[in-house]
Amino acid sequence: MLAVAILVTACGAGSTESSLESRAQGINKSLMCPVCPSETIDQAQVELAAQMRTIVLERLAAGETREQILQFFVDRYGESVLAEPSKRGFNLLIWVAPPVGLLGGAVLLYVILLSMRRSAQGRLTEQPSSVPVATAEVLEPYLERVDMEMESMGVVGPGNTAEKGRD
Amino acid sequence: MAELGSITLLLALILAVYAVLGSVLGAVRGVPQLVESSRYATYAVPVALSMATFSLVAAFVTRDFNLEYVAAHSNRAMDYVYTWVALYAGNEGSLLFIALVLSIMAALAILLAPHSLKESMPYVNAIMMAVLTFFVAVMVTMANPFDTLPFTPPDGQGINPLLRHPGMFIHPPVLMTGLIGMTVPFAFAMGALISGRNVDDWLDTGRVWGLVVWAMLGTGLLLGAWWAYTILGWGGYWAWDPIENAALMPWLGLTAFVHSVMVQKRRGMFRMWNIALVNISFTLALFGIFINRGGPVPSVHSFGASNLGWVFLAFLGFSLLFSFAVFFFRYGALKGSRPLESMLSREAAFLVNNLLLLGVAFVTLWGVVFPLISQLFRGVTVTVAEPFYNQVNGPLLLALILLMGVGPLLPWRNASWRSIRKALLLPATVSVAVVTLLLLLGIHKPYPLIAFGLCGLISGGILQEWARGTRVRHRKGENYAIAFGRLIAANRPRYGGYIVHLAVVFLALGITGSSFFSTQKDVVLAPGEETEVGEYTIKYLGGITQERPDRIESFNTVEVSKSGEGTRQMTVWRAFYPDFRMISTKAAVRSTPVEDLYVVSSETLEDGRVVFRFLINPLVWWIWLAGPVVIVGTVVALWPERQPSLARSRLPRRVEPAPAGMD
Repeated sequence: MLAVAILVTACGAGSTESSLESRAQGINKSLMCPVCPSETIDQAQVELAAQMRTIVLERLAAGETREQILQFFVDRYGESVLAEPSKRGFNLLIWVAPPVGLLGGAVLLYVILLSMRRSAQGRLTEQPSSVPVATAEVLEPYLERVDMEMESMGVVGPGNTAEKGRD
Repeated sequence: MAELGSITLLLALILAVYAVLGSVLGAVRGVPQLVESSRYATYAVPVALSMATFSLVAAFVTRDFNLEYVAAHSNRAMDYVYTWVALYAGNEGSLLFIALVLSIMAALAILLAPHSLKESMPYVNAIMMAVLTFFVAVMVTMANPFDTLPFTPPDGQGINPLLRHPGMFIHPPVLMTGLIGMTVPFAFAMGALISGRNVDDWLDTGRVWGLVVWAMLGTGLLLGAWWAYTILGWGGYWAWDPIENAALMPWLGLTAFVHSVMVQKRRGMFRMWNIALVNISFTLALFGIFINRGGPVPSVHSFGASNLGWVFLAFLGFSLLFSFAVFFFRYGALKGSRPLESMLSREAAFLVNNLLLLGVAFVTLWGVVFPLISQLFRGVTVTVAEPFYNQVNGPLLLALILLMGVGPLLPWRNASWRSIRKALLLPATVSVAVVTLLLLLGIHKPYPLIAFGLCGLISGGILQEWARGTRVRHRKGENYAIAFGRLIAANRPRYGGYIVHLAVVFLALGITGSSFFSTQKDVVLAPGEETEVGEYTIKYLGGITQERPDRIESFNTVEVSKSGEGTRQMTVWRAFYPDFRMISTKAAVRSTPVEDLYVVSSETLEDGRVVFRFLINPLVWWIWLAGPVVIVGTVVALWPERQPSLARSRLPRRVEPAPAGMD
């Protein structure tokens, strides 16, 4: 462990070293600490997690791939040591269900919106094909008139500040 | 003192049961005196529970270790100020806290309920008191904070070291208040449904309570993230831990609710859906409290496995069945809303908003539950942690942000492509400008580019609205500052919403920055040795380790320098508590709007060298900024109008051209 620590500290910001380190960090964030309630070995501060981080670094330095290192730990601790389920077999379910569910929800929403629209078209038979859109510019002159009329009525409103004896 | 506690707990239980029975019987049989006396019972419950809480506090202060709870969560050496945290540190105490908070909120809800809801109020009362009955009954039978030990130990075990942090003084109470507060809008919705009246009136009160609870839950979540960032020492703020998820899901449901409420208020649509949303959120909140009690899912938060979890699950199932039944039987009262005119309208956008929010909630729930499913069907446990949620929720959250930019620009009822193009022109330009700038700065990762671009879109849209509204008022003679202030005052819900959206932009900035552009370096440094992290040069100056009565702690100081910025010293603290076999850290963080420099130490090796973790987390500052901004936005949205708005409310500023043939 000392050797690895020296290796880490001795190197400066060399690109090979930092990419090794960042690859190690990536793997650390994909492995759960087997004895902690729900932390990755990157987060956990216990002895075992530190040892596992060392092993990851050693194996990476020795040239192993990410998959090999992950598999190494799975062999020892079981599938639950992985921070995300594999994309094979039964575990495919966890990955597939969300997009399928979302798609189903979107379809359902579309169908519902369509049926709401159809009832709209059924009801409004003499509806002009497009409703004039009430943007702020369109409304402005009308609202100004409203404000003026309210003011003349002696009513406090958002557009006028006249407080004519009304509290 | 302990006897007082037990007695007042029992008293609260009796009062709550009476309130439930009295309200229901009084409403069904038409006996207003019963209904009224049940209201008084509801007012009396918080008094009883306050006395129970007070007696627990007294037990802590007098170091009454004969009480099991006091012995488990305090000791003689404990500073008195930690009594507050100790109150909810354990299962029994937190149940008492939850019950107390619920009883206060219930009393307030009854007290402040508008007269228009008269027919529903007995049922509202009954539902809130029924939930309260559950919690108090659980305490009295299974998890009594006033249980005594057969002997009196000389000293207690002390309070969990992780709780000795200012964040822990506010995060759990705020979060628990938010979770249990969900009961109030739920009760109003169900009350309206059961009574068959007020199917639209409940919304005003429901919206207010919904927003308050939403703000508390959101704040509680942010506070938890902040606590995790500074205390847990891994440099992150959110781990998609099951408990974090359990609080996130009802918050998502509530977010969907506060949006679709607007459609019911504006156009009388989505009545059924709003009630369904409240139900979903309440169920998720109960689920959250359930997981916290030692459900079958492990977490850094849970109070430990116990039978309590199954009791909660049963209550959850019961409340779900109850909601469905009421919904089913009262379906007719909810029909007859206005039709949807166009797919391209704000109403439709709100539905998409709901779909996405519930989508995120579903994915989160799925991730929490899947290990159990896997265990059940395969006998193999898998872990579902951060990588899963990032990959699956990430795109959904991006889509939500996109919607947040486009939605507010869509008009109600119907939008023409021309008007949308016009409204989007400026925000889209800002968005493209942002992305171009980032590309020029060398940022090429797609996710953050999209996210930052969308932040530009939203900000552009919001500022455009503000500028336009201010300009309109300015033309009437107000100067810009007053015009802006009056603009907000005149449209509080809307501008409160804009402010909250701005806070979400800040959140998105912070999350994107820290998720994609963080630099982490774990090094071992000897005193005097230095290392480089990003643009910083960090030198370990030295440290001291000292033994305290309950812990072994070390302070390590580093000197940080960055070219052009001078040097500063930062000290990290780390302690090991042998009694708890737990480590607590306090990171040294130098936070600027641009980036955080985060320093934390793990172990001190025998030769005096220290293992450090240095993190450069860009834009995290914006995440914390979002908190106060959300609160400001919520306050603005909820701020009541002055009473002489009688005329104002009769002459609303909305002018909708009414086509022939509409009802």
